[in-house]
Amino acid sequence: MARMKFFCDVERCIECNGCVTACKNANERPWGVSRRRVVTIKDGEPGERSLSVACMHCTDAPCAAVCPVDVFYTRDDGVVLHDKERCIGCGYCLFACPFGAPQFPQQGAFGRRGKMDKCTFCAGGPVADNSEKEFELYGANRLAQGKLPLCAEMCSTKALLAGDASVISNIFRKRVFNRGASVFTTGVSHQNAALRAVPRKPGGRASTKD
Amino acid sequence: MRQVTAVGIRHPGATRQRNRRYMLWSFLLLIALTLVLPLVPYAVAYLQTQAQNSSAVPNPGTELWNTIRQRDQAVIGKTQASQVGAGTLINKRGEEWRRFRMEKLVPYSAILLGGVLGLILLFYLIRGSMRLPGGRSGKRILRFSLNERSVHWFAAILFWILALTGLITLYGRFVLIPLLGAEGFSLTASVSLMIHNFLGPLFLLAIIALFFTFVKNNFFACIDWQWLAKAGGLLKQHASAGRFNAGEKIWFWLAVILGLTLCISGLILDFPNLGQSRVVMSWSHVVHGISAITMIAVSFGHIYLGTAGMEGSLESMTTGYVDANWAKAHHDLWYEEVQNNSESETTEPLTPAPETK
Repeated sequence: MARMKFFCDVERCIECNGCVTACKNANERPWGVSRRRVVTIKDGEPGERSLSVACMHCTDAPCAAVCPVDVFYTRDDGVVLHDKERCIGCGYCLFACPFGAPQFPQQGAFGRRGKMDKCTFCAGGPVADNSEKEFELYGANRLAQGKLPLCAEMCSTKALLAGDASVISNIFRKRVFNRGASVFTTGVSHQNAALRAVPRKPGGRASTKD
Repeated sequence: MRQVTAVGIRHPGATRQRNRRYMLWSFLLLIALTLVLPLVPYAVAYLQTQAQNSSAVPNPGTELWNTIRQRDQAVIGKTQASQVGAGTLINKRGEEWRRFRMEKLVPYSAILLGGVLGLILLFYLIRGSMRLPGGRSGKRILRFSLNERSVHWFAAILFWILALTGLITLYGRFVLIPLLGAEGFSLTASVSLMIHNFLGPLFLLAIIALFFTFVKNNFFACIDWQWLAKAGGLLKQHASAGRFNAGEKIWFWLAVILGLTLCISGLILDFPNLGQSRVVMSWSHVVHGISAITMIAVSFGHIYLGTAGMEGSLESMTTGYVDANWAKAHHDLWYEEVQNNSESETTEPLTPAPETK
């Protein structure tokens, strides 16, 4: 069985926020809810890198562990989903999540949290596949249509990869191989490097289909 | 060359030429040293770092992920997302909070609350209800005014609504889902969370009212140490006390301090729109959980002594009046004080007291 994973290649991400836009477009989430975000560390400094982050569909998901109403479940393909109709909006999943993935629309008085919304790996939720209700509650179910999440599909530099973990790790392994081991041999530190490491003798192909 | 030099020794012109050459080389050496010497410390420093790095090959990937995982220091990135704390890629406090809630708060609080209830039951079975010595005298003394009783019951009822709704959120997944089913418990939890969040801020009013109503008789005095030394007369010996004994005073101060802690941490959790980070909220939850469980555990003792544990206690908070013998047995100094003050106002013979005020 495939095990679905996201992977963001930091050497490729150019902080274009295309994935964020694609996600919004595919899932039509309410105002204030953004399932995916791009974070740049060391912005404007040597060693600047950007990462696109959303729900990472953890194997031992902290959100599922702390949920007082036990709405989370992990599908056979590793996608962590939740039953929105039972969510009470307590916010515990947000406290526990390392990635800040759970999102809460403001509902009613005093900034009361509505039902939690998070990345579904474009796999909808626990209602009929591609029904109107599913789209309204959980957004698109592209996996049921045989497609991958739109954020990864639309990534301009193919930095964001989504899909079966073994396929993704294979793609990334090939990339690292083609980039060469220069970063290891020349001791270019990400803290000090002003430019991304370039092999001294470009031996491999600069880019491949992958 | 050697021949020329040999010739130069003989001629003064050659000596001059040699001197000029020495001069030239000296100058070049001087310039070279001027340029190179200041670089020596840099070279030393470079060699030192080389020596250090030779043990561990720098791996930019490792370094990057150390930064992202906040191994050494908190790193906040830049992002277009507007949510609070969106710049943090990995919040490592989340896992700590998860461990606190699931591995400490849930099991230990269950053990504590169950243990306190068990001890109280055991004590009741061994000691039984504390009877009034010499039965009822029939003479009744005003202990709590209507105002004091209102404040007490306002705080007490609110406290139990909040405690029950809070306990439903804490244990419901383990206790109520098997009973009510997932759908049924979701509704229960949703309603109890809403009650908890909306009535919670009122508890601040209750605690403030409680403080100002009862504070005047709750300052610790010398007599309280003697009362504590005798374990409050639980072991069948007499311990004298004023209007409130040391146990009641401790409960009062615990209720005020824990109550205020609960209110402050609760308000932080109650208004997520004020821009507090999720780390602040998870710490507030830790404080809220610990103080709530402590207050509930202590309140069990208070409720036991106010109802089943001691004959004649409950009526002081319902009717406001206690039997004279009850006052003599448990609050002898207060009884004397009341007797000395005014006989007519505070005491009333035989007939039940009408609700005055």
